[in-house]
Amino acid sequence: MNEWAYTAAFFIFAAVTVASAVGVVTKNDLVHSSLLLALCFVGVSGLYVLLQADFLAAVQLLVYNGAIAIVFVLGTMLTRRSIRHGTNHSEADAPSRLIGLISGLFVAVTLGVIATTPWNYSSAGAVQDTPAVLGRLILTDYMIAMEVAAVLLLAAMIGAIVLAKGVDEE
Amino acid sequence: MLQEFGNVGLLLIVALVFPLLALGTAFLLRPRDPGVEKSLPYECGVDTVGTTWVQFRASYFLYALVFVAFDVETVFLYLWAIKFQELGTFAFVEMFIFLSILLVGLGYAWKKGALEWK
Amino acid sequence: MNIALLTSEIAVLVLGLLIIIFDVLIPRQETHRSLGYIAACGVLAILVHSMTQYGAAATVYQGLFVVDNLALFFKQLFLAATFLTLLFSVEYVEKWIQNSGEFYALLLFALLGMMVMASANDLITMFIGMELMAIVFYALVGFELRSKKSSEAGMKYLMLGAASSAIMLYGMSWVYGFTGSLVLSQIAVKATASPAMLLGMGLMLAGLCFKLSIVPFHMWAPDVYEGAPTPITAMLAMGSKAAAFAVLIRVFLIAFSDLQEYWATIVSLLAAASMIVGIVVAIWQTNIKRMLAYSSIAQAGYILSGLLAGNVAGVKGMLFYAVLYMFATAGAFAVSTAVKNHNGSDEIEGFSGLAQKSPLLAVVMTISLLSMAGLPPMAGFVGKLYLFTAIADKGYLWLVILGFVMSMISVYYYMLVVKTMYSKARDQQEFVVRGSLQVVAVISLLASLFIGIYPGPLAKLANFAAQALW
Repeated sequence: MNEWAYTAAFFIFAAVTVASAVGVVTKNDLVHSSLLLALCFVGVSGLYVLLQADFLAAVQLLVYNGAIAIVFVLGTMLTRRSIRHGTNHSEADAPSRLIGLISGLFVAVTLGVIATTPWNYSSAGAVQDTPAVLGRLILTDYMIAMEVAAVLLLAAMIGAIVLAKGVDEE
Repeated sequence: MLQEFGNVGLLLIVALVFPLLALGTAFLLRPRDPGVEKSLPYECGVDTVGTTWVQFRASYFLYALVFVAFDVETVFLYLWAIKFQELGTFAFVEMFIFLSILLVGLGYAWKKGALEWK
Repeated sequence: MNIALLTSEIAVLVLGLLIIIFDVLIPRQETHRSLGYIAACGVLAILVHSMTQYGAAATVYQGLFVVDNLALFFKQLFLAATFLTLLFSVEYVEKWIQNSGEFYALLLFALLGMMVMASANDLITMFIGMELMAIVFYALVGFELRSKKSSEAGMKYLMLGAASSAIMLYGMSWVYGFTGSLVLSQIAVKATASPAMLLGMGLMLAGLCFKLSIVPFHMWAPDVYEGAPTPITAMLAMGSKAAAFAVLIRVFLIAFSDLQEYWATIVSLLAAASMIVGIVVAIWQTNIKRMLAYSSIAQAGYILSGLLAGNVAGVKGMLFYAVLYMFATAGAFAVSTAVKNHNGSDEIEGFSGLAQKSPLLAVVMTISLLSMAGLPPMAGFVGKLYLFTAIADKGYLWLVILGFVMSMISVYYYMLVVKTMYSKARDQQEFVVRGSLQVVAVISLLASLFIGIYPGPLAKLANFAAQALW
C-alpha cells in the first residue's frame, strides 16, 4: 500500500512538473507562463519531499514560489504593453523547431545515459533531520561558500538596484 | 517521515475537494441567467475605468528585488538557528559576519532610496 | 582552521564594503574620484602582501579551500589585473558612468569571486565563486546606463551566462550523482569512464568554455565586449577568462585526470576552432573592442591548448601566457579607453593620428598587439613557444602548426590598427591623458618587453606554481 502510494505520488508530481513546464513554453501569455512556472516549482518541491529532502522542499516553496515567481509577475506588471496576448511568442517557426529538436535529442541522450550507466547505489538510507545536517555543513565545511553567498547576495542587490533605478534625472 | 508528509498530502486533497464540492453543487443548482452586467469584473461595486492592464512604477520592483535577497538570507538564518547552540561562538561569529555583509546592502538600499515610496 | 590563509580574500571583501559605505556616506561627485584610487591602492597593498604567502600549501576546512602556489599565482594575476583596470578606469568612470562608487565596489567583489575560484577545491565553493564573479559582471556590463548598447549587452550576457551556469551546474550534478562526492580529489578516485560521468564532464566543459568564450560557445563575446564599458571589457578578457582557466586546470587535471583520453580530442578540436574563428573573423572588424573580442577568443584557444599536455610544462605555459596576455590586454584597453575618452568612439578609425598626438600610447598599443600576435622580442613569442613545445612533446604537432600559421595571419590585422595609428591625424584636438592611465600604459609596455626579453623569472614562478598540482 505504502509503495503504491509513493509511486502514485511520484507520477502525479512528475506529471504536474512536466505538464506545467511544457505550458510555460507553449502559452501565449506571459502571465499565464509565469503562473505555470510557479506550479512547476510546486511540483519540483513535491519531488523533493519524495526524496526525503524536506528542508529543500520548503526552501523551494519559500524562495522559488514566494520570491522568484512573484518577481516574474511583478516584472510583467512593469511592462507598458496593454494587450497581454502574444507577450510570450511560441510560433512554430524554423528556429523554435530546431531548438525543440535539440531539446528532444538532449532528453533522449539523458535517458540513454541513465539507462546505460552502472550506478553505484548507496546502501545508506535517507538522512533524517536534514536541516540539522545542512546547518552543520554550511557552518563548518562550507563556511567560505556561505560567506561568499552573502557577498553574492549583496552584489546582486547593489547591481539590481543600480540597474533598476536607471538614470537619475537631475 | 514520508508518513507525516502523507498526512499533509491528505489535508491537501481535502482542501482541494472541499471548495470544488461547494462550487460544484452551486454550479448544478443555480439558475442560468447570464447578462452583461453580471460578467463585468467586480471591484468595490464601482465600474472599472480603462483597461486593467496598466504599467506599474519601477519602485515596486526594487522592493521585490530587495525582498528576494533577504528571502534567501532567511534560509541560511534558519539553518544557523538549528545548529547555533551546538556550534557555539564560532557559528555566532560566522552568522554575525554574514549578517553584517547583508546589513551593508540594506543600508545601501535604504540610503539610495530603494525603500522609499515616491 | 587558519584564518591567516584567508587574509587576502578578507582584505578584498573589507575593501569592497568600505567603498560601498564611503559611497553612501560621502556627498555626491567631487570626492568620488578618490574612491577609485583608494580601491587601487588597497588592491596594490594586498598584491604586495600576497607575495609573502608563497610556499605554504595549506588547506582550510578538510581541503575544500586550498591555498597553494597555483592558487596564489592566479590570485596575484587577478589582483594585478584589477589594479591596472582600476587605475585606467578612473577617467572613464567619471565621464560615462553615473554610479562610480558601486562600480569600484562591484569590481572588487568580482575580484573576490575570482580569488575564491582559484582556491576552490570542491564543486560548490567553486560554483559560488564563479556565480559571484558572473553576477557582478552581468551588472557591470550594463552599467553604462545612458548607452543602449551597454544595456543590450548586459541583457545578452545575463541570459546566456545564466544558461551556461545552469548547464555547468547540471554537469556537476551528474558528476556528483555518479561519484557521490563534490571534492575534486575524491571525484578523481571514483571517476570511471561511465556514460553519466562523461556526460557530466562534457556539460561542465561546455559551461566553462562559455566563460572562456571558446568556439562554438563564443557567440556572446563580440556583442558583450563591444557594449560593455571598456574597463569591464578589459576585466572580462583578463580576469574572467583567467579565473575560468584556474577552475578548468583544477577540475580537468585533478578530478578528471584519469579521463584524459576522453577529453583530450574534444579539447584539441575546441582549441583549434577557437584559433581559426577568432583570428579569421577578426580581420573584418572595424570596431576595436570587437576586434579585441575575436582576438581574445583566439588567445583563449592558445591557452586552452596547453591543457592537452597534461603535465607541469603545459600548465606552466598556460600560466605564463595568461600573465603576458593580461599585460598586453591591459595596455590595449588602456589605450582604447584613452581614445574613447578623447573622441567618444570605439571605431578603429578613431585611432588615426594617435602617433602624432600621443606617441607613448601609440607605442604601447603597438607593443601590446604585437605581443598578442606573438612576434619576438615581445612576451607573446616566448609564451607561444612554451605552449607549443609542451604540446608538441605530446604529439599535437598539427595543432602547433595551425597555431603558428594563425598567429602569422593575426599579425596582418594587428598591423592594420598600427597603420591607422601612424596615419595622418583627422583633427587637431589636443589629446589629454590622465596620469594614472599613463602609469598603466607604461607598466604594460615594460612588462611585455621585459617578459619577452628576459622570461626567466616569470617562467620559474609559473613552473613553481604548476608543480603544486602534482
